[in-house]
Amino acid sequence: MSINQIFPFISTALMLGFTIYVLQRFFVRRAPNFLFWGIGLAMFGAGSFAEAYLSLAWNRWIFFVWYLFGAALNAAWIGHGTLYLLVRKPWVHGVTVLLVLGSLFAGTLMLNAMPKLDAGAFTISKPVSEQYGTKVLEAGQTLPTGAQTTTTTYRGQQVTVVRGLLPLGSPVRLTTPFFNIYGLLTLVGGAIYSAFLFWRKRVLPNRVIGNVLIAAGALLIGSASTLTRLGYGQFLYLAELLSAILMFAGFRYAARPQPTDAPQSVAVAAD
Amino acid sequence: MPNPTRANDGSHIPEKSMFFEKFIPALLILMGVLMVALIVFAAGVLLGIIHF
Repeated sequence: MSINQIFPFISTALMLGFTIYVLQRFFVRRAPNFLFWGIGLAMFGAGSFAEAYLSLAWNRWIFFVWYLFGAALNAAWIGHGTLYLLVRKPWVHGVTVLLVLGSLFAGTLMLNAMPKLDAGAFTISKPVSEQYGTKVLEAGQTLPTGAQTTTTTYRGQQVTVVRGLLPLGSPVRLTTPFFNIYGLLTLVGGAIYSAFLFWRKRVLPNRVIGNVLIAAGALLIGSASTLTRLGYGQFLYLAELLSAILMFAGFRYAARPQPTDAPQSVAVAAD
Repeated sequence: MPNPTRANDGSHIPEKSMFFEKFIPALLILMGVLMVALIVFAAGVLLGIIHF
């Protein structure tokens, strides 16, 4: 086992500790932001574990967990926790309903895709993020190293494809960008906005730094995932670990007890 | 008159701090730009402009 294969296991352990820490706060305070953060972090941890497992062996249900929780849903659920923290309006409950229904819909689509998985395309020699999707090989396009091709009919046309685990045109793949855009806006945008709010008011430097660390951690894994899917996957596991460390450190730092003269109207925004 | 204890009690951003005056705002802008770039990329995938 290489050091690169050990990183996801460390990330999983770290995310488990992070999840327990956040859920404990939910059970004490009963604030919905902690619940959504906890669920999202549990999804992140499950995705990390699945990725670690799939670097050693194939299992279709572990792939189900990796795609649904690790690739599609986790950022949106963590980000939704941030929305609950920043926006105390009734319409946020409506967004919660949409998020839950959307997640169930994505789960159903993923279940429908399960019998069609091309397990023969799987290899432990590269991250699952680099091999989950079947792609059409355009004319003149260079074949990626080690890629397997086959010919198939797609939308009435014969096309050559680079084999991937999910079949070409799987509807579940269309749901992922929606969740990731929402997750980026709420998780990263929310952390940047919170940091800016405290910075502008010149108060609570620990929350400025804590939110910067959370945003940096989320952007790091978002960027590394994007690069991986473009074929540059060598830093993914390290980036995932650093992301988990940055977000956990940011959360702990932002949650440190405040001096008594801290303005409460601002303090509540990142509580 | 500024309260001499305020800057050191941890509740306020220290005055004339290079870290908070320059580094943090630059980092926030940089992260905002990166976030928008990732959102545009994801939207491109969704719209079929970027084949992924």
